[in-house]
Amino acid sequence: MPAGSPGPAAQSARRPPPLLPLLLFCVLGAPQAGSGADTAVISPQDPTLLIGSSLQATCSVHGDTPGATAEGLYWTLNGRRLPPELSRMLNASTLALALANLNGSRQQSGDNLVCHARDGSILAGSCLYVGLPPEKPFNISCWSKNMKDLTCRWTPGAHGETFLHTNYSLKYKLRWYGQDNTCEEYHTVGPHSCHIPKDLALFTPYEIWVEATNRLGSARSDVLTLDILDVVTTDPPPDVHVSRVGGLEDQLSVRWVSPPALKDFLFQAKYQIRYRVEDSVDWKVVDDVSNQTSCRLAGLKPGTVYFVQVRCNPFGIYGSKKAGIWSEWSHPTAASTPRSERPGPGGGACEPRGSEPSSGPVRRELKQFLGWLKKHAYCSNLSFRLYDQWRAWMQKSHKTRNQDEGILPSGRRGAARGPAR
Amino acid sequence: MSRREGSLDPQADSSVSPLPHLEAKIQQTHSLARLLTKYAEQLLQEYVQHQGDPFGLPGFSPPRPPVAGLSAPAPGHAGLPVPERLRLDAAALAVLPPLLDVVRRRQAELNPRAARLLRRLEDAARQARALGAAVEAVLGALGAETGGPRAEPATAAAAAIAAAATGGVFPAKVLGLRVCSLYLEWVSRTEADLGQLAPGGPA
Repeated sequence: MPAGSPGPAAQSARRPPPLLPLLLFCVLGAPQAGSGADTAVISPQDPTLLIGSSLQATCSVHGDTPGATAEGLYWTLNGRRLPPELSRMLNASTLALALANLNGSRQQSGDNLVCHARDGSILAGSCLYVGLPPEKPFNISCWSKNMKDLTCRWTPGAHGETFLHTNYSLKYKLRWYGQDNTCEEYHTVGPHSCHIPKDLALFTPYEIWVEATNRLGSARSDVLTLDILDVVTTDPPPDVHVSRVGGLEDQLSVRWVSPPALKDFLFQAKYQIRYRVEDSVDWKVVDDVSNQTSCRLAGLKPGTVYFVQVRCNPFGIYGSKKAGIWSEWSHPTAASTPRSERPGPGGGACEPRGSEPSSGPVRRELKQFLGWLKKHAYCSNLSFRLYDQWRAWMQKSHKTRNQDEGILPSGRRGAARGPAR
Repeated sequence: MSRREGSLDPQADSSVSPLPHLEAKIQQTHSLARLLTKYAEQLLQEYVQHQGDPFGLPGFSPPRPPVAGLSAPAPGHAGLPVPERLRLDAAALAVLPPLLDVVRRRQAELNPRAARLLRRLEDAARQARALGAAVEAVLGALGAETGGPRAEPATAAAAAIAAAATGGVFPAKVLGLRVCSLYLEWVSRTEADLGQLAPGGPA
């Protein structure tokens, strides 16, 4: 082993000197350890190449001792010995290599091309970077949380596989004036995303784009122009509570609070609710909850646990007619409907989207309800409870009609009758 | 305080009972060294994975370039008195942190997405520093000399290795492997040396 600065192990018998003239670390290509006095250098060092291209490389041995020769040298690439027919001796001290149709690099730190002595010891190494230049990033989308920041994500071109480390940089500037700025907080919502936390202007458009760069070139996305106010979202509604509605076995009441940030801004909110049965993956969505902060789900199954979530979309920001961006769904909240001895209705809710026929427009439904009342009502005091009972009855009769098309469970044919007086 | 060599002398004046405290300190430092040995093994595995084959292949025998200011534990290390061994351990642990920093910076260029590797290298530098300080504290409590300040050799070693690391990529990979290997060797050596002092260890 060549002598370097004596390390701690060599100083056991005496005190360490206060300051030693240190030798420079010996790199491969200079006198080095491993195989005695022979040294070698590979050319080119760390080349960058396109996939499918060819490489001509040389390993030149030079040493002070006689016999330093290229005889018996061989190449490996990523640990695999290359066929001898790819090599030839250019002269006594130089072994050449010809590689064709190179594949993309196996690792981002480069493919390891190594020149070995006859005994297998490593004489020199060079790392190959084989890949593709980046393609244009696309599909940039951005949103602002409560008008305080901006988060953007994009899709890398060519599905991102360049076989080389590719750097993505999100840039932005005010459209009409100002300098280019570079986003600094990356990977906030995925590998191709960036977050701009502050110092954003409102009521003026921004231009946003993504630049991709690697060893083989660069590419730039199309420019996205937006006003922060057009891409606002909020936190999900907090404090979502789901509770029973007295003893009503097919209903649950959902209440929530509007996101606190809404109070700061001159916009309204619309909400959406989704719910599912505990052991199901299918959500039903209730649209058009508009600006309310409560809703009653009806037509549910008795004795069943439901998970409920709510989300919010700010709109009408400073008088704009544009909708914002839906927030994330709130954390699921669960509640169960009371148990019933009678088979419950099959489904339905407070205006579910695309579900059973009973969910027609409210006006038509009320007309039918009034007609039914004239026939069946025995008291003049109309109550919401009576209306809900009628709706539950409607659900059952729809279900019974559907069941008539198949095999009927025994004892259920009477379910289509109206509620007991 | 008189210089002591070898194991603790139970006949020493212990009217204030410093021994239990010292034993606890030795035990604690020994446990730390044991833990860091495991981390150093994991660091080495993580490192070779990211450099690609042949690094990490069975039988891979890279050059072992000398690292200025630090060499592997000598074959005769285990035969030295325990305080002397610990002094050498502390000296090596003091030189390692800047070397590990240089390796981390180079790996940040070569493997920028290897977050876990970069974190392990950063942690290793910090942990080597901590273990070195703990060993010096044990040496101080034993009344042994600690060998004096090592800031200059550590800084100079780091400068030398940084200069080398800016060269070719393959030599930089080999260099980083050497530093990680030396880190493992010295941490496990420290664990063994402290084990000689820990209660229950050979006197």
